[in-house]
Amino acid sequence: MIVGAFIAILAAVGLLRFSTPYARFHAAGKASPVGFLVASLGAGLELGVAGAAQLVLAGVAMILTLPVGVHLLFRAVHRTDGPVLRVDELAPAEVQSQRLHDTSATTQAPESNQ
Amino acid sequence: MITVATSLFITAALIATGRLLAGPSLADRIVALDVALLCLMGAIATHAAKTGSTTNLILLIVLAIIGFTATVSAARFLQYQPAVAETVTS
Repeated sequence: MIVGAFIAILAAVGLLRFSTPYARFHAAGKASPVGFLVASLGAGLELGVAGAAQLVLAGVAMILTLPVGVHLLFRAVHRTDGPVLRVDELAPAEVQSQRLHDTSATTQAPESNQ
Repeated sequence: MITVATSLFITAALIATGRLLAGPSLADRIVALDVALLCLMGAIATHAAKTGSTTNLILLIVLAIIGFTATVSAARFLQYQPAVAETVTS
């Protein structure tokens, strides 16, 4: 549990100290669930089977949901912020996806009129 | 020993609150709230280990799911509202 709390401290310090949003999300989105999982492992050893089952359920729910949320945040920042990246591999794909979206919208519009 | 772990979690939550107050953009505040929520979950787990009661552990499951919902809705809001994000930061 001490180790998990220490990992959580590292995540929070990384969140406070890093300079760009991407580096901050990197520190927060990976280190803090690891900290919680290590702490819940210690708490599950302390609590026995009934407590460990609920802790496992909470850990599974967190592992399934948290990367999705952080990924959506990354995408939102990439779409709203200016060019802060030195190498941006996502921008051409986003332009192409937007173009596909526009063409499908224009082709669907006459069908709805009929 | 367990008290030390709980206080370390609370310290991490306070550091994340510092980023929440200072954060230059709206997304930084969202992710700082996320980290503070995770530290709260760890503090609840260690407190349950200290008292030996499994009553509060169902809170962890609820907090994980609610935190995911909050993060996703805020990210979708931020994605289509760049003007709002800029006015919040300035």
